[in-house]
Amino acid sequence: MGLTIGIDVGGTKIAAGLVGPDGTIGARTHRDTPANSVDETAAAICDAAAELIAGHEVQAVGIGAAGFVSADRSTVLFAPNLAWRDEPLGARVAETLKIPVVVENDANAAAWGEFAFGAAKDVEHMVCITVGTGIGGGVVIDGELLRGEHGVGAELGHMRVVPGGHRCGCGARGCWEQYASGRALVREGRAQAESGSLAAAQMLSVCGITDPAELTGPMITEAAAAGDPCAVELLDDLGRWLGEGLASIVTLFDPSVVVIGGGVSAAKELLLKSAQVAFERNLPAKANRPHPSFGLAELGNDAGLIGAADLARRPVTAARA
Amino acid sequence: MALTQALTIGIDIGGTKVAAGVVDPEGNILDRLRRDTPTKDPKETEDAIAEIVRDLESRHDVIAVGIGAAGFVDGTRSSVLFAPHLAWRHEPLRDAVERRLGLPVVVENDANAAAWSEWRFGGGQGESHLVCVTLGTGIGGAILNDGSLQRGKFGIAGEFGHMQVVPGGHRCECGNRGCWEQYASGNALTREARELALSGSPVAHNLLRAAEGDPRQINGPMVTELAKDGDPVAVELLEDVGRWLGIGLANLAAALDPGTFVIGGGVSDAGELLLAPAREAFKRTLTGRGFRPEARIVRAVLGPEAGMVGAADLAREEATWLRRVRVKTTAVTAKTAAARNRTTRLERAARKSAGRRTGMRAATPEADLHHADLNGEPEA
Ligand SMILES: [Zn+2]
Ligand SMILES: [Zn+2]
Repeated sequence: MGLTIGIDVGGTKIAAGLVGPDGTIGARTHRDTPANSVDETAAAICDAAAELIAGHEVQAVGIGAAGFVSADRSTVLFAPNLAWRDEPLGARVAETLKIPVVVENDANAAAWGEFAFGAAKDVEHMVCITVGTGIGGGVVIDGELLRGEHGVGAELGHMRVVPGGHRCGCGARGCWEQYASGRALVREGRAQAESGSLAAAQMLSVCGITDPAELTGPMITEAAAAGDPCAVELLDDLGRWLGEGLASIVTLFDPSVVVIGGGVSAAKELLLKSAQVAFERNLPAKANRPHPSFGLAELGNDAGLIGAADLARRPVTAARA
Repeated sequence: MALTQALTIGIDIGGTKVAAGVVDPEGNILDRLRRDTPTKDPKETEDAIAEIVRDLESRHDVIAVGIGAAGFVDGTRSSVLFAPHLAWRHEPLRDAVERRLGLPVVVENDANAAAWSEWRFGGGQGESHLVCVTLGTGIGGAILNDGSLQRGKFGIAGEFGHMQVVPGGHRCECGNRGCWEQYASGNALTREARELALSGSPVAHNLLRAAEGDPRQINGPMVTELAKDGDPVAVELLEDVGRWLGIGLANLAAALDPGTFVIGGGVSDAGELLLAPAREAFKRTLTGRGFRPEARIVRAVLGPEAGMVGAADLAREEATWLRRVRVKTTAVTAKTAAARNRTTRLERAARKSAGRRTGMRAATPEADLHHADLNGEPEA
């Protein structure tokens, strides 16, 4: 009873799960993402869902995908990693599966997962950021997911933090995700290694590589966990950018809790400590206002899948196409 | 008197002046009063408020009082946590004034109050996702979703002015550097104009003349007036502030995705001299531009009395709602209590949002308790 399917459409993998009303995942499956074909992507999503639906009474399907999703939760206006442009994904999948479908931005879905069942399950106001290659944002105000007028709100990673800063894939410069994401971590790590710094050379050897181009985010995290000073510094810098950005965001939304998730949050305390210090330091009028609590996400990679499944269970509010 | 025709008093407490007015349900101001703000002692401010209300009450039948003040107002809208220009620190203003007046009192952040009146009577009518930005000496902000002011957990959401836009930028009174209000407010306009005049640049000739040769006398309205007369440097100064405005709005659009931005406050008197460059910068810096719908940027229409009118109207909403709830109390208490035990947190949130229209719903659990005494949530 009350089962829904959550589907997380990533750049390389489509993960699907059968989710109960309490947020627990029963069966799972996955497909590779056929990135270049809209039709094939929809087919792969339907295929994964159909596999899970077989033999169960499933109420609805929720799909989380990177990109701008229309306010009626059905059309993907634009996706950075996939070929979707004004793609009526929800209608397409619903037609094939004969079941209600809700489409949601992946970071919104992950935030909802954390809000409903994870790190923010006891509060009504939350800001959640998913720090992966970029930064995704999700905001819950008074128990409701912030979607905005057109459905494209909470794109927190594209708030400008540096005038004239690094170029961003969104067309702007100086976006937060150019400074506080996994991509930024790797860019800085490689740049330091290429500069010929001895500390960076040591880090590369801890990572077991010689070519800076082979450096990855998880390698840096692992090196930092092993105590490599260069890697520790890189995560420290990243944490500072995160904390400073979050301090600005808190002035907009005044949440109870700030949650940090996504692949980069695997660095845990190595990242969280400097982030929290910078956050507390940069909260405007910090001596005269209550401070929100600050913590790591709890649901890991499943947050988006679980959140999408739970959102599929709920009626779409503020439906304005 | 029918509640729908009832009058309320709105009081806008600024750093130097207290402005008060009797306001009708259509937002018309029927009577006005002004006093200097007593800044030293919270009690003196209460005295001034009480005096103003008694004065206005002697001529009008009013049912409630709304107070708008710059600063952090807590989620129950009863205490001023912190006011930058006044001596209030965790000041339980609502209860103190209510006791003295015997009328329901609502306390609200001034920018929220101004935004509320723009949504009810001004440039934001009918908007389901509205963001208001008030450009005064600083920047005030407010978020209105489906006619509900978003106050956040502690009542202090929408403080856009302290979003950082320049790392290591100008020092701000909030304790940080590079806050938006250091670049796109009246203070910023004045600072830039004075700096230019102090530099001795010949282009500042008209500015200096307007200030009778003393750069310290230059102020925002002076620049706006010169710009309206076509002085190229004044136009440039407003353009620069407008550009920073647009850049900040692009950030807010990324985060909030409103349908419309309403720009109010004294600096907005410059009209298109400010808003045209703001729109240009907004379009130029918006994330995902070309692949997403964009918000409109319009000027507020209610002028400097928006805060007063908004505070008065919020007080009317509160008074009307309180009476309705009191009438229902006995009949619904048992049912509601039972229902509450059955429902989950998420269902409660969903019901709350469905029942929400007036923006009167409190923002914190404490506030929920406060209202629960009166049998809290309006029926969905
Ligand atoms: Zn960007
Ligand atoms: Zn500030």
